[in-house]
Amino acid sequence: MIVDGFFIAGAIICALSVITSVVATIIRDHPDDYAIISVAAVELFLVVYGFAAAVRQGGGEAISGEPWEFWGYVATALFVPVVAFWWAVTDKTRWSNAVLAAVGLTVFVMLYRMEQIWDGAPLA
Amino acid sequence: MNKTTTPDRTGRQAGLGRIIIAVYGIFAISSTARAGYQILTKFDEAPLAYALSAVAAVVYIVATIALASHKPGSWRLSLAAILIELAGVVIVGILSFALPQDFAHPAVWSHFGQGYGYVPLVLPLVGLWWLFRHRETPAAPGR
Repeated sequence: MIVDGFFIAGAIICALSVITSVVATIIRDHPDDYAIISVAAVELFLVVYGFAAAVRQGGGEAISGEPWEFWGYVATALFVPVVAFWWAVTDKTRWSNAVLAAVGLTVFVMLYRMEQIWDGAPLA
Repeated sequence: MNKTTTPDRTGRQAGLGRIIIAVYGIFAISSTARAGYQILTKFDEAPLAYALSAVAAVVYIVATIALASHKPGSWRLSLAAILIELAGVVIVGILSFALPQDFAHPAVWSHFGQGYGYVPLVLPLVGLWWLFRHRETPAAPGR
Protein backbone atom coordinates (compact mmCIF):
# COMPACT_ATOMS: atom_id res chain seq x y z
CA MET A 1 0.00 0.00 0.00
CA ILE A 2 1.26 3.47 -0.90
CA VAL A 3 1.05 5.89 2.04
CA ASP A 4 -0.45 9.04 0.50
CA GLY A 5 -1.72 12.35 1.86
CA PHE A 6 -5.27 11.03 2.20
CA PHE A 7 -4.13 8.13 4.36
CA ILE A 8 -1.94 10.35 6.57
CA ALA A 9 -4.72 12.93 7.03
CA GLY A 10 -7.29 10.23 7.79
CA ALA A 11 -4.97 8.45 10.24
CA ILE A 12 -4.30 11.70 12.14
CA ILE A 13 -8.02 12.64 12.31
CA CYS A 14 -8.97 9.13 13.47
CA ALA A 15 -6.17 9.06 16.06
CA LEU A 16 -7.16 12.47 17.48
CA SER A 17 -10.79 11.35 17.65
CA VAL A 18 -9.88 8.13 19.50
CA ILE A 19 -7.66 10.01 21.98
CA THR A 20 -10.32 12.69 22.60
CA SER A 21 -13.06 10.09 23.10
CA VAL A 22 -10.98 7.84 25.37
CA VAL A 23 -10.08 10.84 27.56
CA ALA A 24 -13.77 11.83 27.58
CA THR A 25 -14.73 8.30 28.67
CA ILE A 26 -12.43 8.70 31.66
CA ILE A 27 -13.23 12.27 32.74
CA ARG A 28 -16.88 12.78 31.69
CA ASP A 29 -20.07 11.04 32.85
CA HIS A 30 -21.97 12.27 29.79
CA PRO A 31 -21.23 12.40 26.03
CA ASP A 32 -18.49 15.00 25.61
CA ASP A 33 -18.93 17.83 23.07
CA TYR A 34 -15.35 17.53 21.81
CA ALA A 35 -15.71 13.75 21.38
CA ILE A 36 -18.84 14.34 19.26
CA ILE A 37 -17.06 17.06 17.25
CA SER A 38 -14.09 14.73 16.69
CA VAL A 39 -16.43 12.07 15.30
CA ALA A 40 -18.04 14.73 13.08
CA ALA A 41 -14.51 15.51 11.82
CA VAL A 42 -14.08 11.81 10.90
CA GLU A 43 -17.37 11.95 8.98
CA LEU A 44 -16.28 15.15 7.22
CA PHE A 45 -12.99 13.49 6.26
CA LEU A 46 -14.88 10.53 4.79
CA VAL A 47 -17.11 12.85 2.75
CA VAL A 48 -14.05 14.69 1.39
CA TYR A 49 -12.25 11.38 0.78
CA GLY A 50 -15.22 9.93 -1.10
CA PHE A 51 -15.68 13.10 -3.13
CA ALA A 52 -11.97 13.22 -4.02
CA ALA A 53 -12.04 9.53 -4.97
CA ALA A 54 -15.02 10.18 -7.27
CA VAL A 55 -13.19 13.12 -8.88
CA ARG A 56 -9.99 11.09 -9.31
CA GLN A 57 -11.88 8.18 -10.87
CA GLY A 58 -13.94 10.55 -13.00
CA GLY A 59 -10.67 12.05 -14.25
CA GLY A 60 -9.50 8.67 -15.47
CA GLU A 61 -7.43 7.54 -12.48
CA ALA A 62 -8.54 3.92 -12.24
CA ILE A 63 -8.73 1.89 -9.00
CA SER A 64 -6.32 -1.07 -9.12
CA GLY A 65 -8.68 -3.24 -7.06
CA GLU A 66 -12.42 -3.81 -7.30
CA PRO A 67 -14.37 -0.52 -7.54
CA TRP A 68 -17.54 -2.03 -5.96
CA GLU A 69 -15.47 -3.17 -2.96
CA PHE A 70 -13.90 0.28 -2.55
CA TRP A 71 -17.25 2.07 -2.75
CA GLY A 72 -18.82 -0.51 -0.47
CA TYR A 73 -16.28 0.43 2.17
CA VAL A 74 -16.84 4.17 1.60
CA ALA A 75 -20.62 3.80 1.90
CA THR A 76 -20.38 1.61 5.02
CA ALA A 77 -17.77 3.83 6.69
CA LEU A 78 -20.02 6.88 6.21
CA PHE A 79 -22.61 5.20 8.46
CA VAL A 80 -20.20 4.50 11.34
CA PRO A 81 -19.94 8.06 12.77
CA VAL A 82 -23.68 8.59 12.20
CA VAL A 83 -24.60 5.49 14.24
CA ALA A 84 -22.21 6.50 17.04
CA PHE A 85 -23.68 10.02 17.07
CA TRP A 86 -27.18 8.56 17.31
CA TRP A 87 -25.93 6.37 20.18
CA ALA A 88 -24.53 9.41 22.03
CA VAL A 89 -27.77 11.35 21.56
CA THR A 90 -29.93 8.51 22.89
CA ASP A 91 -27.69 7.39 25.78
CA LYS A 92 -26.43 10.26 27.92
CA THR A 93 -23.90 8.24 29.91
CA ARG A 94 -20.13 7.99 30.20
CA TRP A 95 -20.14 4.94 27.94
CA SER A 96 -21.32 6.81 24.86
CA ASN A 97 -17.81 8.28 24.79
CA ALA A 98 -16.42 4.73 24.50
CA VAL A 99 -18.74 4.13 21.53
CA LEU A 100 -17.49 7.40 19.98
CA ALA A 101 -13.91 6.15 20.56
CA ALA A 102 -14.69 3.02 18.54
CA VAL A 103 -15.47 5.18 15.48
CA GLY A 104 -11.87 6.32 14.90
CA LEU A 105 -10.55 2.76 15.27
CA THR A 106 -13.17 1.29 12.94
CA VAL A 107 -12.83 3.99 10.28
CA PHE A 108 -9.03 3.77 10.40
CA VAL A 109 -9.12 0.03 9.70
CA MET A 110 -11.65 0.58 6.89
CA LEU A 111 -9.54 3.43 5.44
CA TYR A 112 -6.49 1.15 5.50
CA ARG A 113 -8.43 -1.44 3.49
CA MET A 114 -9.79 1.26 1.10
CA GLU A 115 -6.24 2.42 0.40
CA GLN A 116 -5.16 -1.20 -0.17
CA ILE A 117 -7.99 -1.70 -2.68
CA TRP A 118 -7.12 1.58 -4.42
CA ASP A 119 -3.52 0.44 -4.85
CA GLY A 120 -4.56 -3.10 -5.79
CA ALA A 121 -2.95 -4.84 -2.81
CA PRO A 122 -4.34 -8.30 -2.01
CA LEU A 123 -6.08 -8.96 1.30
CA ALA A 124 -3.25 -9.63 3.75
CA MET B 1 -33.87 11.87 27.42
CA ASN B 2 -33.97 11.99 31.20
CA LYS B 3 -31.18 13.80 32.96
CA THR B 4 -30.18 12.09 36.16
CA THR B 5 -27.41 12.83 38.63
CA THR B 6 -26.01 9.30 38.39
CA PRO B 7 -26.29 8.37 34.72
CA ASP B 8 -24.19 5.21 35.17
CA ARG B 9 -26.93 3.72 37.31
CA THR B 10 -29.96 4.58 35.21
CA GLY B 11 -30.58 0.96 34.39
CA ARG B 12 -29.53 -2.35 33.01
CA GLN B 13 -30.05 -1.22 29.39
CA ALA B 14 -28.15 2.10 29.56
CA GLY B 15 -24.50 3.05 29.39
CA LEU B 16 -22.13 0.09 29.47
CA GLY B 17 -25.19 -2.19 29.48
CA ARG B 18 -26.09 -0.94 26.03
CA ILE B 19 -22.57 -1.72 24.78
CA ILE B 20 -22.83 -5.23 26.28
CA ILE B 21 -26.20 -5.75 24.53
CA ALA B 22 -24.63 -4.56 21.24
CA VAL B 23 -21.70 -6.99 21.59
CA TYR B 24 -24.12 -9.86 22.37
CA GLY B 25 -26.16 -8.82 19.32
CA ILE B 26 -23.09 -8.90 17.07
CA PHE B 27 -22.21 -12.39 18.39
CA ALA B 28 -25.82 -13.54 17.94
CA ILE B 29 -25.88 -12.44 14.29
CA SER B 30 -22.37 -13.58 13.33
CA SER B 31 -22.51 -16.95 15.13
CA THR B 32 -25.96 -17.69 13.66
CA ALA B 33 -24.73 -16.88 10.15
CA ARG B 34 -21.56 -18.90 10.62
CA ALA B 35 -23.23 -21.91 12.25
CA GLY B 36 -25.96 -21.87 9.59
CA TYR B 37 -23.36 -21.84 6.83
CA GLN B 38 -21.28 -24.60 8.45
CA ILE B 39 -24.27 -26.86 9.04
CA LEU B 40 -25.76 -26.36 5.57
CA THR B 41 -22.50 -26.86 3.65
CA LYS B 42 -20.21 -29.18 5.66
CA PHE B 43 -22.01 -30.61 8.69
CA ASP B 44 -20.56 -34.11 8.01
CA GLU B 45 -16.97 -32.91 8.48
CA ALA B 46 -17.34 -32.05 12.17
CA PRO B 47 -20.90 -32.69 13.40
CA LEU B 48 -20.07 -32.17 17.10
CA ALA B 49 -18.26 -28.85 16.65
CA TYR B 50 -20.90 -27.46 14.30
CA ALA B 51 -23.81 -28.61 16.47
CA LEU B 52 -22.17 -26.82 19.40
CA SER B 53 -21.80 -23.74 17.20
CA ALA B 54 -25.57 -23.82 16.67
CA VAL B 55 -26.12 -24.14 20.44
CA ALA B 56 -23.85 -21.14 20.99
CA ALA B 57 -25.80 -19.14 18.40
CA VAL B 58 -29.12 -19.88 20.18
CA VAL B 59 -27.63 -18.94 23.57
CA TYR B 60 -26.37 -15.61 22.18
CA ILE B 61 -29.77 -14.85 20.62
CA VAL B 62 -31.59 -15.57 23.90
CA ALA B 63 -29.05 -13.56 25.92
CA THR B 64 -29.31 -10.55 23.58
CA ILE B 65 -33.11 -10.45 23.73
CA ALA B 66 -33.22 -11.05 27.52
CA LEU B 67 -30.61 -8.37 28.25
CA ALA B 68 -32.41 -5.82 26.09
CA SER B 69 -35.86 -6.65 27.47
CA HIS B 70 -37.62 -4.58 30.13
CA LYS B 71 -40.18 -7.29 30.88
CA PRO B 72 -40.37 -8.89 34.33
CA GLY B 73 -38.30 -12.05 34.41
CA SER B 74 -35.88 -10.83 31.78
CA TRP B 75 -33.19 -10.43 34.45
CA ARG B 76 -33.52 -14.10 35.42
CA LEU B 77 -33.57 -15.20 31.78
CA SER B 78 -30.42 -13.11 31.17
CA LEU B 79 -28.75 -14.77 34.15
CA ALA B 80 -29.69 -18.26 32.93
CA ALA B 81 -28.50 -17.55 29.37
CA ILE B 82 -25.18 -16.10 30.53
CA LEU B 83 -24.55 -18.97 32.97
CA ILE B 84 -25.21 -21.47 30.15
CA GLU B 85 -22.89 -19.40 27.94
CA LEU B 86 -20.12 -19.44 30.57
CA ALA B 87 -20.55 -23.19 31.16
CA GLY B 88 -20.55 -23.75 27.39
CA VAL B 89 -17.36 -21.84 26.67
CA VAL B 90 -15.54 -23.53 29.59
CA ILE B 91 -16.76 -27.08 28.81
CA VAL B 92 -16.27 -26.77 25.05
CA GLY B 93 -12.90 -25.10 25.68
CA ILE B 94 -11.74 -28.02 27.82
CA LEU B 95 -13.18 -30.64 25.41
CA SER B 96 -11.46 -29.00 22.44
CA PHE B 97 -8.11 -29.51 24.15
CA ALA B 98 -8.99 -32.99 25.50
CA LEU B 99 -10.53 -34.33 22.25
CA PRO B 100 -8.75 -32.39 19.50
CA GLN B 101 -9.83 -34.92 16.86
CA ASP B 102 -13.49 -33.93 17.38
CA PHE B 103 -12.72 -30.21 17.24
CA ALA B 104 -10.44 -30.05 14.21
CA HIS B 105 -12.87 -27.54 12.70
CA PRO B 106 -13.27 -24.12 14.25
CA ALA B 107 -16.33 -23.30 16.36
CA VAL B 108 -17.21 -20.23 18.40
CA TRP B 109 -16.43 -21.78 21.79
CA SER B 110 -13.55 -24.14 20.90
CA HIS B 111 -10.20 -23.34 22.57
CA PHE B 112 -12.06 -20.91 24.88
CA GLY B 113 -13.03 -18.64 21.98
CA GLN B 114 -9.46 -18.20 20.75
CA GLY B 115 -10.63 -17.53 17.18
CA TYR B 116 -12.63 -14.56 18.45
CA GLY B 117 -9.86 -13.02 20.55
CA TYR B 118 -11.16 -14.82 23.70
CA VAL B 119 -14.12 -12.41 23.70
CA PRO B 120 -16.51 -15.41 24.16
CA LEU B 121 -14.70 -16.19 27.45
CA VAL B 122 -14.60 -12.60 28.75
CA LEU B 123 -18.13 -11.64 27.64
CA PRO B 124 -20.09 -13.86 30.09
CA LEU B 125 -17.90 -12.67 32.98
CA VAL B 126 -18.57 -9.03 32.07
CA GLY B 127 -22.25 -9.89 31.61
CA LEU B 128 -22.52 -11.53 35.05
CA TRP B 129 -20.74 -8.61 36.73
CA TRP B 130 -23.11 -6.19 35.01
CA LEU B 131 -26.23 -8.22 35.89
CA PHE B 132 -25.32 -8.36 39.58
CA ARG B 133 -24.63 -4.62 39.61
CA HIS B 134 -28.11 -4.09 38.18
CA ARG B 135 -30.33 -6.51 40.08
CA GLU B 136 -34.01 -6.61 39.25
CA THR B 137 -35.82 -4.20 41.54
CA PRO B 138 -39.08 -5.72 42.87
CA ALA B 139 -41.15 -2.57 42.33
CA ALA B 140 -39.43 0.08 40.27
CA PRO B 141 -41.15 3.38 41.12
CA GLY B 142 -42.50 5.34 38.19
CA ARG B 143 -42.03 2.58 35.62
